[in-house]
Amino acid sequence: MSDFFVIVMKELKDLMRNKQIIVGMIIVPLILFPALGKMISFGISEAKEETKVILVNFDEGKYGNVLISALKAAPNVTVTLIDAQTVQEVIQKAQAEGYNVVVIIPKDFSKNIEANEKTYVEVYAVFKGISAGIKESVSEGRINVVLQVLNEELAKLKISETVKGNPEAILHPIDAKSYSVIQGRIVDVPPSVVSGIIYSQAFSIPLVLFIMISYVSQMAATTMAAEKENKTLETLLTLPVKRITIITGKMVGTAIIALVASIAYMIGLKYYISSFSPENMTQIGITLKDLGLEMTPKGALLFGISLFLSIVFALSLAMLISVFAEDIRSASTMVSMIMMPLLFPIWILMFKDVSTLPPAVKYFLYAIPFSHPVIASRAVLLKQYGIVYAGIAYLLFISGAMLYITAKFFSTEKVLTAKLKWGKRRGAEK
Amino acid sequence: MTAIKVENLEKDYGKVKALKGISFEVKEGEIFGLIGPNGAGKSTTLKILATLLMPTGGRAEVYGHNVVSEADEVRKLISYLPEEAGAYKNLTGYEYLQFMAKLYAKTGKSVEEMLKLGVEIAGLGERIHDKVATYSKGMTRKLLLARALMVMPKLAILDEPASGLDIINAYAIRQTIKRFAREEGVTFLVSSHNMLEVEFLCDRVALINKGIIVEVGTPKELKEKYNAENLEEVFMKAVGVRL
Ligand SMILES: Nc1ncnc2c1ncn2[C@@H]1O[C@H](COP(=O)(O)OP(=O)(O)OP(=O)(O)O)[C@@H](O)[C@H]1O
Ligand SMILES: [Mg+2]
Repeated sequence: MSDFFVIVMKELKDLMRNKQIIVGMIIVPLILFPALGKMISFGISEAKEETKVILVNFDEGKYGNVLISALKAAPNVTVTLIDAQTVQEVIQKAQAEGYNVVVIIPKDFSKNIEANEKTYVEVYAVFKGISAGIKESVSEGRINVVLQVLNEELAKLKISETVKGNPEAILHPIDAKSYSVIQGRIVDVPPSVVSGIIYSQAFSIPLVLFIMISYVSQMAATTMAAEKENKTLETLLTLPVKRITIITGKMVGTAIIALVASIAYMIGLKYYISSFSPENMTQIGITLKDLGLEMTPKGALLFGISLFLSIVFALSLAMLISVFAEDIRSASTMVSMIMMPLLFPIWILMFKDVSTLPPAVKYFLYAIPFSHPVIASRAVLLKQYGIVYAGIAYLLFISGAMLYITAKFFSTEKVLTAKLKWGKRRGAEK
Repeated sequence: MTAIKVENLEKDYGKVKALKGISFEVKEGEIFGLIGPNGAGKSTTLKILATLLMPTGGRAEVYGHNVVSEADEVRKLISYLPEEAGAYKNLTGYEYLQFMAKLYAKTGKSVEEMLKLGVEIAGLGERIHDKVATYSKGMTRKLLLARALMVMPKLAILDEPASGLDIINAYAIRQTIKRFAREEGVTFLVSSHNMLEVEFLCDRVALINKGIIVEVGTPKELKEKYNAENLEEVFMKAVGVRL
């Protein structure tokens, strides 16, 4: 068995038996995320329930009844007509019997409509406790939709009584027909839907990348700092094993665990997201592929390379940083302090396309290795491989350099003697 | 053959001069003791020979290989036991020895042979299959010593091998070291501030004080030279402490 493999196996064994890592890797993503999603979706599914409307009609004309039949015909709405004298009385009754919404049709409702005057309907949403109020707002929304339809119909009726022609055309003289042009191809899908799909893509990749890179660098720092804290490093460094083998062995062990963890996170996140966006794009039946935005095998490979190289960078940097820490806790703090600013630009890329940014910001983002897998994930969809190749070339250079620096550092005595006391030491040398 | 050759070795840690030009030689199969008080420079010397630290002056060779320019070669010949060391807490003692054996296996003995020997030297009984995290200080020390010896190095560099061990275990370890030197021809460089232990164990000793070697010789020679009953007295007289 090669030294490299022996070290990877030891690293895996050591990491897999670390309770903190197992908790962070399995419990958090696989239990907490779905649980969180459940909690939110609970509110939504409640909102999907029937809207129970209690209705009092003070109107004496025909239009009050037209509104009642329209509401009864609306989906997910049940209407109960009651007799009451005051608003207060109706609301009390609604609260006692678990109604969400109270609708009151005023006395002069029909009279005003007939006289071409403006009239109104009172809608009360009954909040029970202080939950998110999703249910109540959904209920109000349903009533409003009914009112809107009724408004239109009444308007058309009035138009047909007074003017010649198509009432619909008079009411809405202009309609917009929306298409999307993707890669020069016209797609019969409104831009809002397309942007929705791209949006969900735009969020998930940076998010997973962010989690993965933070996770991977924390773990790398932990395994290095643990060697120091547990006083195993000196022995390790005198073994008949090349330093680069020790470092890469550790990196691969860490990367494997990180990969498993990211998969767990992705599964957890998927549950989390899907649990409160039931009307997501795949259910509408349109996928990236339909839009001509599919990832080709070549694209996937290029994205994979870009991701791999940025992980190599994160691992090398984290290991290098942890050399300056005396124990696991300070290593972890130092790595967060240095990684977070480097990871922060990923959030900019969630909302902005690099090409649309001012040059200074653009080149700043290009300089940060972690931007490249995000940029690549979009560019390969659009088959703009040029920028992907450029990104990979840059990553190859900077990750290689980082790995080289780390390996060099490990072959000097600094790995044992370096501490973050530079200020003092410089003073001492003078 | 010369196992270790040290010439005018110097080491500065910033302002602190830990070694001020020391020289000594160790022959193959010898047990050589480096003795001196706290802060004398013993661990520093051993770390340089173990390829962990770079000297700031002078040179050191292990079996003719320079410890700086041929560090990779030197690492194939030595095994080093640090003064303060631990083992991987999440592994069992057995897994720890196995990991080490696999990395040394290319230097001669097979993994199984090393493991058998390691388990025997560690003398932890059934506890060898428990996690290192559950070991006492002395148990961990025995495990680490077992790992340093089981690989059958040409040169074993042991920094205070018996520190933290009770008298029975310390005795057993000294017997093992002697046996390895006599029967297997392993060279030992051992540091200690326990002069009596050194007197029993070592063929030759170097007295080191404040980064300077004050005397080198067999315990017998030194005792005669200073007309002393034991090495402790020799040391006191050599560094000029009034008794
Ligand atoms: N990493 C370091 N940074 C600065 N000074 C150091 C460092 N390590 C050792 N020293 C100094 O070098 C000198 C020699 O230390 P060394 O550890 O070699 O002594 P020692 O003989 O092993 O002592 P002990 O018996 O206490 O283990 C001491 O003065 C010590 O303070
Ligand atoms: Mg010491």
